[in-house]
Amino acid sequence: MNGRVTGLATRYAALIRAAWLTDLQYRAAIAIWLVLGVAQPLITLAVWWAVAGGGEVGGYGQADFARYFFALMLVDQLTLAWDVWYIDRWIREGELNFRLARPLNPIHEAIADNIAYKMKTGTLVLVVWAGIALVWPAVRLELGPGRLALAVLAIVLAAAIRFVSTYVNGLLAFWTTRATAIAELHFGISLFLAGRIAPLSLLPPAVADVAGVLWFPYMLAFPVEVLTGGVTTAADLLRGFGWQCFWLAAWIGVYRAVWTRGLRRYGAVGG
Amino acid sequence: MPRSSASSRPPRLRLLAVLRAFWSANLAEELAYRANLVASVLGTVFWMGTAVLTAGVFFRQTPALGGWGFWEVVALLGVFNAVAGVVEALLRPNIGRIVQHVRQGTMDLILTKPLDPQFHVSFRRVVIWRGTDILLGLGLAGYALLRAGTVPSLASLLAFALTLAAALAIVYAVWLALMTLSFWFVAVENLEILFDSVYEAARFPVTAYPRAVRFVLVYLLPIAWITTVPASALTGRVGLGTAAVALAVAAAALVATRLLWNAALRRYTSAGG
Repeated sequence: MNGRVTGLATRYAALIRAAWLTDLQYRAAIAIWLVLGVAQPLITLAVWWAVAGGGEVGGYGQADFARYFFALMLVDQLTLAWDVWYIDRWIREGELNFRLARPLNPIHEAIADNIAYKMKTGTLVLVVWAGIALVWPAVRLELGPGRLALAVLAIVLAAAIRFVSTYVNGLLAFWTTRATAIAELHFGISLFLAGRIAPLSLLPPAVADVAGVLWFPYMLAFPVEVLTGGVTTAADLLRGFGWQCFWLAAWIGVYRAVWTRGLRRYGAVGG
Repeated sequence: MPRSSASSRPPRLRLLAVLRAFWSANLAEELAYRANLVASVLGTVFWMGTAVLTAGVFFRQTPALGGWGFWEVVALLGVFNAVAGVVEALLRPNIGRIVQHVRQGTMDLILTKPLDPQFHVSFRRVVIWRGTDILLGLGLAGYALLRAGTVPSLASLLAFALTLAAALAIVYAVWLALMTLSFWFVAVENLEILFDSVYEAARFPVTAYPRAVRFVLVYLLPIAWITTVPASALTGRVGLGTAAVALAVAAAALVATRLLWNAALRRYTSAGG
């Protein structure tokens, strides 16, 4: 058992290192993706900043909005998952075959790729945020070690949920040519339910309630609120983490079912 | 060397004939995929819906964004969608591919042809089913005007047409300038994404932003001229005077990017490529 764990760890180290080196060649392209990633939150922040003016909106003042959206940019980069795009391509263009012949499930390569990418962009966002916080008090966070640890846990769980759900989305390509369209639908909904347009408390209460029982806020809004201190009571924290664990387990279950059925179908059509 | 009969025809007629040649095969190919049309319409309706809902989230907390009422903002979103349709139909499939031409060497083939390379690179393909974005966007703008109770005067409609034409010319110039950078940054595959990032700011009237951002969007990145100005003309906030300024800005942008393009070509061909 111990040998298996260290074996997996060695393999992961190798996969991450390989992905890191590949990413170095694409650093300009990655920087441009980062610009797109921060554009929408920054623009949304600019509008909320103007709306809040000198007062506050739904309990959020200008500084609160600034902290929320800066935290959102960081958490978004740290939970990013883009697997649906290349898995869809793998399945439709036959690139899955040689990956299936490897001893490791292709999902490990995807996870390592994901981690290596985030090590770069996450660090960049963090450094830029720290720099901006030096001159702009509004975006500073007062973070004790306890809350920091909770935030890290929430972010890791959120990244896992987002990764597995988008991976499953990609695997739908075993059955449909519209897997990427479903991904777009998913993203469109998450604009509201994951807190990208506004903190969830600013949405109509019915919408926020529905969001609270789905996985969307636990991929983004919940870790953001833990980081900014928007979620403080033990009850709220427990409920949030509880939902995160539930949805992660649910999505892993869906992944297992979809992967085995999908492979059977893939093999059956002579792919 | 004797001049051929083809080159003695007036240049404008020849360009139209070239366009027809380019696009007829294109259209036949695209129209064969009717499922794409349905998917495209559904997708556009979905994204327009999310844009309107987004505006709705803001308007739950405030009666106006930068002095614009809800239906005025929706009219602007219609203009945003229509311009995005032109980008997807004509700009991204053509100018967006310049870096591939440079990397694969097909740019050389384009340069040897008797047709102006900028024209060739700009209008080779048209993704026709993106025309639905333009129609749906204009439709949304019209519906929003109805709900706002504004009936645009003839002068407003004319100003709208002129400012929209200017907006499209400016978008074209921005795309060309951006993709001309591919001649220098051949290794970067996704330069077009820079446009998408900045274009996100065109979803709101520039008055909705803090003053410093507003300055940038009017004088530095011409986002204001792309959606705010045409939408303002449609709702009667600005008139033919502004339209004239918009056309002047568009003309300046086209001239500037033409010069940039020529400089890039000179550098490209002089490197022996």
